[in-house]
Amino acid sequence: MEREAFLARLAGARPGPDLPSLDDLPQAPTELRPGEDRYERFRHEVEAASGACERVSAGHEGLAVAAFLAGAGATRVALASDLGVHREPVHAALVALGITPVSYDDLVAERAELGALHATVTGASVLVAATGSLVTSALAGRAAALIAPIHVCVASEDRLASGLAEALHALPDASLVAFQSGPSRTADIEKKLILGMHGPGSTLVVVVRSLASDAPTPA
Amino acid sequence: MSDHLTGTTFQTRSVEQLAKPFQRQAIPNAVDPTVAGLHRLFAGSDRDRLRDLGRDIRGHAVANLPKLVAQLVDQLETNGVTVHFAGDAAEARAIVVSICSRAGARRVVKAKSMLTEEIELNPALEAAGLEVVETDLGEYVVQLDGDRPSHIIGPIIHRTAAEVRELFSRVAGTELAEDAGELARFARGQLRAAFLAADVGISGANFAVAETGSIALVTNEGNGRLTTALPRVHIAMVGVERVVPRLDDLAVLVPLLTGSGTAQRITTYLTLASGPRREGEVDGPEEMHVVLVDGGRSAIVGSDYQEVLSCIRCGACQNICPVYRQVGGHAYGWVYGGPIGAVLTPLFRPEAEAQELGQASSLCGACDDICPVRIPLHDLLRTLRRDRSAGATVSRGERLAFRIWSYAWASPTVFRLSALLAPLAARVPIGPARRFTALRDVVFSRGRR
Ligand code: SF4
Repeated sequence: MEREAFLARLAGARPGPDLPSLDDLPQAPTELRPGEDRYERFRHEVEAASGACERVSAGHEGLAVAAFLAGAGATRVALASDLGVHREPVHAALVALGITPVSYDDLVAERAELGALHATVTGASVLVAATGSLVTSALAGRAAALIAPIHVCVASEDRLASGLAEALHALPDASLVAFQSGPSRTADIEKKLILGMHGPGSTLVVVVRSLASDAPTPA
Repeated sequence: MSDHLTGTTFQTRSVEQLAKPFQRQAIPNAVDPTVAGLHRLFAGSDRDRLRDLGRDIRGHAVANLPKLVAQLVDQLETNGVTVHFAGDAAEARAIVVSICSRAGARRVVKAKSMLTEEIELNPALEAAGLEVVETDLGEYVVQLDGDRPSHIIGPIIHRTAAEVRELFSRVAGTELAEDAGELARFARGQLRAAFLAADVGISGANFAVAETGSIALVTNEGNGRLTTALPRVHIAMVGVERVVPRLDDLAVLVPLLTGSGTAQRITTYLTLASGPRREGEVDGPEEMHVVLVDGGRSAIVGSDYQEVLSCIRCGACQNICPVYRQVGGHAYGWVYGGPIGAVLTPLFRPEAEAQELGQASSLCGACDDICPVRIPLHDLLRTLRRDRSAGATVSRGERLAFRIWSYAWASPTVFRLSALLAPLAARVPIGPARRFTALRDVVFSRGRR
């Protein structure tokens, strides 16, 4: 059909309500409660979704990532380009443990190699405290965070948004933006929860303390 | 799929479904934790105010479709998306087939989409020589077995693990264990290969954001996101009423949808696809198409049933409905079961047999209480009864029988249901009660086992 004819058929509606203001969103499960600590709620939600979460001082993120991946026996590891300042420490720590990571960007055209990856490591544009979600985008590669059985995300604590409403205002400008919250899952067969259906079955988020809050005790 | 309606009635289909003892246990087993989880999740939240907002956002969108859809289309086109307009199912199928053939595609992967069930897309793609693979685990089972989904959220709620094992063992050519984990792993392997080989990925849309030209997809498995990531062409099939005005509206509608549908705060994957791969991005489709589908929706705009277009397809009204819980989704004869199916089917399907579905309800009102966007399902069902079936041709006695029959659906077991109806059937040999004598033969003895 032509656009105009198609739209014309949708006219003649009964009047509906005005579009409500969302300035004071009622308490929703996707928002932080007053006084709640962002990181503590984030960790709680990640763990509730069967993911792992760890907070480290700046410079220690490489160790956290490498220890997790070595412990899982991962050897084919790809790093996404959105890791930013975390890329160097992660790369160095992996190499020190005998794992030579490849760049996701270099691999992406090679379908067979993508399928053979054990783990990917990406950054995140936003972390969402109230839902335990991380936001990645086409900037890191659309499939980067879910092509391998293990996904590790490294992001600074100052990326933590309180809830979904705040996060929607902080999204990166990319052709695809995706929230993900814990491992891929299904309950289609007799309601039994199975992790790792299409995406990773094992996930870790490493939250790097921002320098300001870093002073007292390095983890 | 009209075949399931033709020559049958809700009663005959129910008799058939009630004879499946697994389903009658499986539905409560599957949906009761979701309903309980919903209430736990919202404890301490202001769910009622959130529902008010959800109702107003959706009601506003449905009342302003020409303006909002025009905005959506403009924004999508600005983002580099090709937008197509399908008046009916046949046109929607033809558009998708032609996109695939212009792209030289041979293999298609699909993420779960009820709209593509409505328009019976898969047979049309197969007839055009395309290989189609459903990638949602439940939909994959449905496809392999030539079955139909029986619940909006849990398509194979009616199937046992043993049946899935048998099916997958046939595909694998070797005996798999009856273990949900192993069965899912087998499917993952098959489906990953399909993803990596696919030329075209077809998704539905949970919401279409007019302000940004984004298609929002909600999945737990991650297949929605892979569908938009790996194939070189992405086609999103969008019912025209899926539009929402603002990106911010998702802060209201997503928790309402995932809370009601799966008792989750948020889904594992919430994907916003706003166009093909851009310059500087490392992967993603070269082309993105959005097919806007009317398919009977514009006829509902402006009618007494307009509010049903606010539906966000969460499945909660199915979970809570005493009729659905007894007979399952297939008894409704078309794509949607439960209260939402009882309203939508007569509106979307022209067949005479579809018009009686307003009766497939006990009018207990449980669906109104749970619907996250406050659709007055109970009122809509009453209006349907007035307009479509009982109407002028049914005697007062028969209407009374319907009411008793409806009431009986609310009883917790089919044993009690049939016991209650036995004397009624003997004394009032009319309408539904008469049909229940047949029903009793099927279920009465089973109910006692
Ligand atoms: S009618 Fe309401 S409860 Fe039923 S599926 Fe639609 S949104 Fe959910």
